[in-house]
Amino acid sequence: MRRLDRLSIGGLVTLLVLVVFALGSLIGAGGDPDAIVGPRLQPPGSGWWLGTDNLGRPVLPRVMEGVGTTLLLSSVAVLVTAALSATFGIVAGYRGGYLNELVMRLVEVLYSFPAIVLAILVAAVLGPGQTAALASIVLVTIPLMTRLVRAAAVAVSQRDYVTSAVISGARLPRVLVRHVLPNVAGTIAVQGTYALSVGIAVEGGLSFLGFGVQPPQASLGVLIQQGGTYMIAAPWLILGPGVVLVAAILAINVVGDGLRDRLEPRETRTLT
Amino acid sequence: MRNLRLACGVAAALLASACAATGTTTSPTAAAQQSAAPGYLALADQSLPSGGTLNLQVHIDSGAATGYDPQLADVATTWQLLSLSYETLVTVGPDFSVQPLLAEKWDTPSPTEYVFHLRKGVRFANGREMTADDVVGSLKRLLASKSVWRGQLGPVKSVTADGDGEVKVTLSEPYTPFLTALANVPAAVLPMKEIDDKSVDPATTLLGTGPYVVENHRQDVSWAFKRNDQYWNKGKPAADALNITIAPEEAARIAALQNGSAALATLGNVDSATMLAGAGNVQVGTQATTDFYYLMLNSLKPGSKLADPKVRQAIAIALDNQQIADVALGGQGKPTAITPAGLPGACDPAALPSAAKSVDDAKALLAEAGAQDLSFTLTIFSTEPAPAVAQVIQQNLQQAGITVKIEQMDEASWSGKVYGKAPADFDAALSWFAGYADPGMVTKWWNPETAGFNVGFMKPDKELNTLIDAAGKEPAGPSRDQALTAVCAKADADAQMIPLVTRPATVAFRTDALSPSLYATEGYGNVLRLVADARVKKTQ
Repeated sequence: MRRLDRLSIGGLVTLLVLVVFALGSLIGAGGDPDAIVGPRLQPPGSGWWLGTDNLGRPVLPRVMEGVGTTLLLSSVAVLVTAALSATFGIVAGYRGGYLNELVMRLVEVLYSFPAIVLAILVAAVLGPGQTAALASIVLVTIPLMTRLVRAAAVAVSQRDYVTSAVISGARLPRVLVRHVLPNVAGTIAVQGTYALSVGIAVEGGLSFLGFGVQPPQASLGVLIQQGGTYMIAAPWLILGPGVVLVAAILAINVVGDGLRDRLEPRETRTLT
Repeated sequence: MRNLRLACGVAAALLASACAATGTTTSPTAAAQQSAAPGYLALADQSLPSGGTLNLQVHIDSGAATGYDPQLADVATTWQLLSLSYETLVTVGPDFSVQPLLAEKWDTPSPTEYVFHLRKGVRFANGREMTADDVVGSLKRLLASKSVWRGQLGPVKSVTADGDGEVKVTLSEPYTPFLTALANVPAAVLPMKEIDDKSVDPATTLLGTGPYVVENHRQDVSWAFKRNDQYWNKGKPAADALNITIAPEEAARIAALQNGSAALATLGNVDSATMLAGAGNVQVGTQATTDFYYLMLNSLKPGSKLADPKVRQAIAIALDNQQIADVALGGQGKPTAITPAGLPGACDPAALPSAAKSVDDAKALLAEAGAQDLSFTLTIFSTEPAPAVAQVIQQNLQQAGITVKIEQMDEASWSGKVYGKAPADFDAALSWFAGYADPGMVTKWWNPETAGFNVGFMKPDKELNTLIDAAGKEPAGPSRDQALTAVCAKADADAQMIPLVTRPATVAFRTDALSPSLYATEGYGNVLRLVADARVKKTQ
């Protein structure tokens, strides 16, 4: 086991800063994100550090709220995805046969739907809101992660240490949890970071269509969609959430890489 | 490293997609809103040659559920599209005045009699000449139908033809908005001979006397029109073909204007003019319409506190319509009563009983009704600027201690939820009415027995209905203004549908591709009213 490299630690610190930033919204730091406090579309100034939006609301507290909404929603969704994908992927990869066929065909069915169509379908069934957004992110991200985990599990299940464990009498749950899971954890971690990125995009698309986060609640997706509309006339609307989004995705990915290096000691990879 | 690149790529793609939403090609030759002739936002340059293909983009298609039958069309966006193929006896001018169209003139021998002198040489697109029987048959068909518009025609007693050139309509009592009611697409003249012999089904085929004929329609995707060679108004339409793309996303329409793939587009964002300020050759104009947003409060939902008039009045009092106009509509709308602001004879919204009261009065009413902790869900569609209006409403009502949860959905889902069943399964909803050209017309929608579409969430109010009917009988003038004032006050107290602010209609066009005619005002939600005049400079 290796320690996290400096880049990964930097990513971790960035994520912690964003989490603190989001928590600040809960205690009212930055002001009420929904209150109309000033003129519409004002550039950054003393009364509103990141400017105001098209309803005269301060952008700063809305970005803070948006970070919290998006990170929470995407994180929970990706955790669910990771848990489900790990279970199905490892079992399918290790056991093979009909179970493998069943899981893979189900995954392919999900894969055959364009992400946003699948998300709209889910939202239409569950009704608009965060639950629909969460379920949509899970369904959109689960196929790829399950396939990758399954592929990793197939490779790991043929390794000598797994064969040794089976020969020595280890039962199936122990083999899967103690010998296979740790060796596909890197794949899950890295794919989880990608899924987080996809989750943010899906959340934004759903919210834009009215199926995701409902107004006036802010999320990074909502803020970026809105900022995109006003890109020329009021660039400050996209600057704040855009910078935060880039920082969040970069941080998540470098942390993911660091985790992979730490969790997969047999394959040395470093970000240089 | 691969994942770092992936991360950067995803982030860049997200930002780039946001950038692409508005396009990035701009030039310093911004075309601001220019003044045209009085009453017009733009006037087509008639010295330009006719011909060419005009590419337009609008945000929504006609309602698929009602088919193509103009008499059953019940929303302004459908009227707009059908108006390209169908025409009415009369139309409206830039000052909301009634003007001749298929009737070249009319007489009013008495307040209950209208004699229309039909224009000669008018032909349907199949080449058959329009007759008085078509006009009589169309009006009778409308009156016998389940059309929403039937109620707008008033107390029609009889419709008769006098030879091939005249049609007489007799009312059972005076009805002032009669002519303006005839000026909308549901009152269009249909090819009754073909409908009666069943060779044409108006639900599936558009066959009118209008300037364009449909070549192809893909629901929610596009319309393709070609010029009607039989059109009676020689020299029109100027453009040979009309391609209309349905582009629900505002950003897509703006991008189409910027890259030239659309010569004209309707826009919903009130800041469109600002956003397109740097775009070369794009001119943006805003029509002052009589359309207005209103808040529906479902008084029929079992157990709902909104069934209590005091609660509804409290909500009406707590709403700050001026703030809605200033903030959500960027100052482009104005507060209105049940009679659309801007029409002659309309009530002064500042004089409404609710306007004179304060948030404290609203709280007191809520306390009297035992609804201090009132909370409800406001169902809205996602088309701008409705979400902005809803969020200002939410902030307004919060001042009175009312918690509003906003539920946003696409227009089809919204329509299903609001109008899909009776009693309707929503607490409150936001929508807009076309305000038409007479201040009394839209008041008829406050009678659910006339309107029909709101019977699932609105109780009839006998006193209000009597006042609405009385105002309809009054001839234009001080007595009618007084009658309408009484209607406004009663509707304000009833508060099942609360008028908010007028709805501006923004339209943008490329000055290098098109020279259109556009009224500065519009009452029927029809931005394309003068599209037959538009001259194409170059086909995209």
